[in-house]
Amino acid sequence: MTAPSSSPVREPAWPVSRSAIGLWVTQGVLGTLLWAALLVPALLLLPTDDLPLSLLPWVGPVLLVLYAGVAIGLEPRIRYRVHRWEVTGEAVYAVSGWLTRTWTLVPISRIQTVDVTRGAVQQLYGLATIAVLTASSSGTVRVRHLPADVAERVAADLVHRAEQVRDEAT
Amino acid sequence: MTGPVVQRTSPRVVLLHTVTFKQARQWVPIALPVGAAIGFDSGLTTVAALVLAVTLLSATSAALAWWRFGYTDGPTSVVVTRGLLARSVRTVPRDRIRGVEVEAPLLHRLLGVVRVRIDAAAGATTGEGEEVLVDGVTSAEGERLRAGLLSRRSGATADAAGAAPAAEPPAEEELARFDPRWLLYAPLAGSYLAVPVAAVGALFRLLDELPRDLRPDVDGVQLSGWTAGLLAAAAVLVLLALGAVAGAAVVNWGFRLVRRGGALVADRGLVTRRHTELEVDRIRGVTVSAGLGLRWAGAARVSALVTGLGDAQRRGQLLPLGPRDRADALAAQLVEDPGPLRRHPAAARRRQVVRAMTPGAVVTTAAAVGAVLAGWWPVLAVGIVLLLLGVPVGLGRYAALGHAAGPRSFAVRRGWVVQEKAVLQRRAVVSWQVRQSPFQRRAGVATVVACVGAGSGAYSAVDLAAEDVAPFTRAASSDWAGTLAG
Repeated sequence: MTAPSSSPVREPAWPVSRSAIGLWVTQGVLGTLLWAALLVPALLLLPTDDLPLSLLPWVGPVLLVLYAGVAIGLEPRIRYRVHRWEVTGEAVYAVSGWLTRTWTLVPISRIQTVDVTRGAVQQLYGLATIAVLTASSSGTVRVRHLPADVAERVAADLVHRAEQVRDEAT
Repeated sequence: MTGPVVQRTSPRVVLLHTVTFKQARQWVPIALPVGAAIGFDSGLTTVAALVLAVTLLSATSAALAWWRFGYTDGPTSVVVTRGLLARSVRTVPRDRIRGVEVEAPLLHRLLGVVRVRIDAAAGATTGEGEEVLVDGVTSAEGERLRAGLLSRRSGATADAAGAAPAAEPPAEEELARFDPRWLLYAPLAGSYLAVPVAAVGALFRLLDELPRDLRPDVDGVQLSGWTAGLLAAAAVLVLLALGAVAGAAVVNWGFRLVRRGGALVADRGLVTRRHTELEVDRIRGVTVSAGLGLRWAGAARVSALVTGLGDAQRRGQLLPLGPRDRADALAAQLVEDPGPLRRHPAAARRRQVVRAMTPGAVVTTAAAVGAVLAGWWPVLAVGIVLLLLGVPVGLGRYAALGHAAGPRSFAVRRGWVVQEKAVLQRRAVVSWQVRQSPFQRRAGVATVVACVGAGSGAYSAVDLAAEDVAPFTRAASSDWAGTLAG
């Protein structure tokens, strides 16, 4: 089992698409480029004459390299190990996060709507996100980065089953 | 046209809206530049003409609005038609009506009319109710609307058109009645203390706008020494307390909560009388909350968590202010008490204390460096005080934590500045969320969030022992939560 032994609840059974790693790496690269684009003008504007300030221009680049290392090298791999999902006979269950983990469980009888979204980067990798919404604004399950065809199929199946077991006690 | 006829509001509303400039207010942005162009300073006649023009404008727009406003109270839906140029027709199916509120502000009361607010939750996903407002019907008509809308909506029982609302008075059970002595709690509640502060703020803004020669001259008063300062502070405190009591009295005067058939009915207010109805079937739970001051005095307030209720903060109130034991008893009458709360593990106490001390630790560390380099000794002292204060705060936060699962309901409690205990029905849970940060993982605890389609939408048990998570979720909802245990 990939999960740490101290996990408070059972881990969902199925991993997300393997291409999600590539997608997270892409997002890390984009984030790094964005920070770099912000950093360069800041470096040009900084005064460099004072002696105690002479170390200051180095702070930004060092932080940027650290960020890039974490966001590109580390985070995607950890995320791939953490993110899992499962649809059981009664509920939709998913876990996400990389440092702080969030497990969400929604019974099929309480599903209000099911959304499938495909972001710009996701389309490059042929991935999609399923969002299962309930009557509570905080009780949403999001399963990110499933193969698009799987996502469509699962969403249709969930909507169909929700119609049959919907109860009014929301 | 078949079916019920289109009804109008009382013509008295025209007078009401003329006086309050209700419709005319939207013309203010246009009127101001016009007025400025004419010039305000050309003497008394101009001012009189302006006042007359504004009043006429207000009366005309109020009359037009009244003329174009109609409502139909049909067997399956309520239709409200309005709008001068762009007509808007809003249809609310009866089965979507979640509550009806009858309000009578002071001017309305003088004219014998009321305002009826019909609450209709549109989509449950947004969590926002949509309101339909029928302003200015006679009190009798308002009462008829309310009784008719609510009785025919629930269950469509044999309620023939002829059955007058007064003919079938369902059994009434009084659940709470406001005792004027409870007003003494008001100065201890933050929200009521804010009332006089806001009033003083408004007063100062008014003073600012007065011409200089009209302002009271307070510069001449000499304040010197400690006694004067203390006196002033004491006076401010007394005024704040009086203001809070007065504010609470105005809002809550004559508060009464009764159960009438399948609905909870709350009446309240000194100047504006409010009448709120909640359907018992839609209640998913209650919260009993109390700030530091209220806890010290042994007081609390109770709110209902109702699905699809707009403005739930105000309308869900079941007991605005009252003794703790009364609050608990009222809560237990509506949602079964799940039994005594269980404490959270020792790791939770450690975490709460550490978290409460963190800001102090940061300040102390920074100040220690600063003290050595630049002599920031006062800052260091502040940091140490903050650090030490963190201990009681953390212990207080830990003491507030608790959870319990009973046969039909469950409870979670948290919060130190404002402690809130939520007691929820098992059927209320629409989803479970379990969160664990790296620190929580090391400490072997996790936070469990019960997501509910009512109230704030999420009620958490913070820092539950990791091994208790699955049993608690299973015990507090149905079989489906067994998925977490695996």
